Amino acid sequence: MDKQSILEVRGLNVEFETNDGVVHAVKGIDLDVKPGEAVAIVGESGSGKSQTTMAMMGLLASNGRARGSARYRGQELIGLSERKLNRVRGEKITMIFQEPMTSLDPLYRIGRQIAEPLIHHRGMSAKAARARVIELLDLVGIPNPERRVDSYPHEMSGGQRQRVMIAMALANDPDVLIADEPTTALDVTIQAQILALLAELQQKLGMAIVFITHDLGIVRRFADRVYVMRSGEVVEEGATETLFGAPKHPYTKMLLAAEPTGRKAAPPAEAQVLLEGRDVEVVFAAGGGWFSRSAGEVRAVDHISVALRQGQTIGIVGESGSGKSTLGRALLRLLPSEGTVRFVGQDISDADKRAMRPLRKELQLVFQDPFGSLSPRMTVGQVVTEGLKVHEPSLPARERDRRAVEALKEVGLDPAMRNRYPHEFSGGQRQRIAIARAMILKPKVVVLDEPTSALDRSVQKQIVDLLRDLQKAHDLSYLFISHDLAVVRAMADHIIVMRQGKIVEEGPTEAIFDNPQEPYTQALMAAAIDGTPFREGVVEA
Amino acid sequence: MTDTVLPVEHHAAGRSLGQDAWIRLRRNRAAVASAIVLLLLALAGIVGPWLTPHSYDRIYPQYVRAPASLEAYPKEEAILPAFESALTRARVQIGEVEVSGSTVRAPVSDGEALDPRIVRYIDRSDLFSNARLEDADGNPLAEGASEGVMVADVQRLRFLFGTDANGRDLLSRILIGIRISLAIGVLASAMALLLGVTYGAIAGYLGGRVDNLMMRVVDILYSLPFIFFVILLVVFFGRSFVLIFIAIGCTEWLDMARIVRGQTLTIKRQEYVQAAEALGVSDAGIVRRHIIPNALGPVVVFVTLLVPKAILLESLLSFLGLGVQEPLTSLGLLIAEGASNMRGAAWLLIYPAVTLTAILFALNFLGDGLRDALDPKDR
Repeated sequence: MDKQSILEVRGLNVEFETNDGVVHAVKGIDLDVKPGEAVAIVGESGSGKSQTTMAMMGLLASNGRARGSARYRGQELIGLSERKLNRVRGEKITMIFQEPMTSLDPLYRIGRQIAEPLIHHRGMSAKAARARVIELLDLVGIPNPERRVDSYPHEMSGGQRQRVMIAMALANDPDVLIADEPTTALDVTIQAQILALLAELQQKLGMAIVFITHDLGIVRRFADRVYVMRSGEVVEEGATETLFGAPKHPYTKMLLAAEPTGRKAAPPAEAQVLLEGRDVEVVFAAGGGWFSRSAGEVRAVDHISVALRQGQTIGIVGESGSGKSTLGRALLRLLPSEGTVRFVGQDISDADKRAMRPLRKELQLVFQDPFGSLSPRMTVGQVVTEGLKVHEPSLPARERDRRAVEALKEVGLDPAMRNRYPHEFSGGQRQRIAIARAMILKPKVVVLDEPTSALDRSVQKQIVDLLRDLQKAHDLSYLFISHDLAVVRAMADHIIVMRQGKIVEEGPTEAIFDNPQEPYTQALMAAAIDGTPFREGVVEA
Repeated sequence: MTDTVLPVEHHAAGRSLGQDAWIRLRRNRAAVASAIVLLLLALAGIVGPWLTPHSYDRIYPQYVRAPASLEAYPKEEAILPAFESALTRARVQIGEVEVSGSTVRAPVSDGEALDPRIVRYIDRSDLFSNARLEDADGNPLAEGASEGVMVADVQRLRFLFGTDANGRDLLSRILIGIRISLAIGVLASAMALLLGVTYGAIAGYLGGRVDNLMMRVVDILYSLPFIFFVILLVVFFGRSFVLIFIAIGCTEWLDMARIVRGQTLTIKRQEYVQAAEALGVSDAGIVRRHIIPNALGPVVVFVTLLVPKAILLESLLSFLGLGVQEPLTSLGLLIAEGASNMRGAAWLLIYPAVTLTAILFALNFLGDGLRDALDPKDR
């Protein structure tokens, strides 16, 4: 293991000049990457893990400054001229990013996008470049590379685009591949495939991979060595085995313990059914206009029946596009749907907006994105009390304020902050505000649409705890929509697995997790929970 | 309950997005300077016409196309010949004419007794007033005297920007022009704002068929030629000040409606709007409390660019003779007049043009500054 470091970072500092003063994003960190090694940089959002690599590649935002040293094979990268830097980046050190949807130019065929660096850096002819592109696409496991080379990005799925990105990064046989959260935007099963591909490519090509992620599960199965970062500093580093086996720093311990734990017991069988959907069907018309009938239709939710009892939590699991969010909204009558929906025995299938208004108090919704779900122009107090204005308009302002204080306290926020605006809060705090907004009305049923997906692991755990406490205190019923199986397992007592608008499998949580019947559920479980490392190369991409 | 009360770094009162933008705007020197310039010009337009010694419609036949000058009119060298020529008409012998301060005096004599009515010849001139006959000691001339001194006050008038082809003070006219142009700009924009924001927000929020129908109406109105539309209005209702800003407002709200509709379409998809729907907030409440406040950023920027556009349109209308009526004036009208007198009297074009340019520059800089200040990417 005593090889020379291929990438050597010493005392790297990154600072950003902002309107509110200088923000010190990375505070003098040291990093080493040896040839052929998989190094993971782990940290929560804002820990400076991405900025570290951006600084090395000279890709900082215009208000950013890097100090310190980052050497690639002895050549200093910090402060290198654009021209010389271009000879290293894109050729010897390459990057792949989180968003495969936005990192490909939608106007060009993928073949051309991959060929560009070949023609530029290597001076290959167009014909040779094309042959190399096909070879690369084959390498990253894209079927029919001869045909797909002429596809446009929008013709490919998210996973395939990420493969294209990887092919692009591999085009010039790099020594180091920096992967910045390459699987975060992907569904779990696709995630597993991409990780397996990366592991396989690393062994085949012998390059080093710097893997930036917040997901410890991935790190454990992928990396040789781990750096744990927190607010711009490396708090702990070491070989993966040692670090996971015996973490020293309290922050690392906290991160490792952050996986939501605990199980929820099912409610008594005689508990009242609060919300019931029978043969619910949601069809979206695609296309169509003034003079033409709709061109086709998408069946987002296809004859699904759900019955939510008092005190129950039903977890709805599925990948993106499986119709799980649509189902949640259809049950709340926020979308037009077919089939019957009953709330406490009352048929609300055909209730219009006006008829639904008194019931909205009982049926609440919490969203995934805590940044998008709070109006940026309203203070927290206004956000939280908006529902009261609708449902208890006679309430005096003083009493409303008292209720807001109460609700904010209940979700663990300082009520003194209710005159502030949402952009001054962190993601976890905002999600608490969104929960307070739902809870202030004292609802019976809450649909939680991926409430923890946009949050860091440690915050996720706090929110899960909060939601469980609230459920216990008010005997709430939850419809918990998520793609994150670890969270669902901790929250739900009953699970519905959805795929393409249909129920694949359904049953008590234990049964689904311990003994999945359907192959799709099994694949899902394997991808998300299974601890087998990818590095042994057993998984097929 | 989780008993962790999360601390927030800064504990002062919350800073809204608007306040943030305000702070950023204040850092932008060009925008601040523009705002000051605008404020001063607006102030000049509002109180200026009352402070100038000349009314904007007062005609001085003596001073047609007097060039801009810091000195008072009449000029020293112009007083003597004017006084002499006026006196000659009285057919009396004239001695040495002398000018002291604001009075002019000349000894006059005649073979017979001086007729006191000859002072009228002097008063008839615009230059002189209060003409009187005095004896050598300054007392009113005794009746029947054949010698005396003709004394008259000289009206000294300042025309800092000169006068126009009808002999009206250009400064006063520019000040009233600023008032009219800014008023039209602001009123027309306010009208466009009101119509456009309401219409666009409703169309965007309701969506579907309603949106389609409402926006087709906008498209149809778009296809009407503006000048044609204005001529129609003028023919039907006659020329009036109110009509102009209604005409401009009626055409400018179309852009605003499209911008607001576009904004609304994106805002409508935001989760906070869905959350409001899930809370049971009525459509009107959602549009009022969520959609319009959040669409306001681009709208504010557009308004600052709309004001100069309205001023320019008014100038165009006035230039074509469809706008403000004489003797009332606007910057556009002044420039039109200046353009026709450009060869002989360049100041008639230069001063109004500089004023209009200053207003437009300031508004555009302010608009740019606002756009930067409200740009969320900067945050």
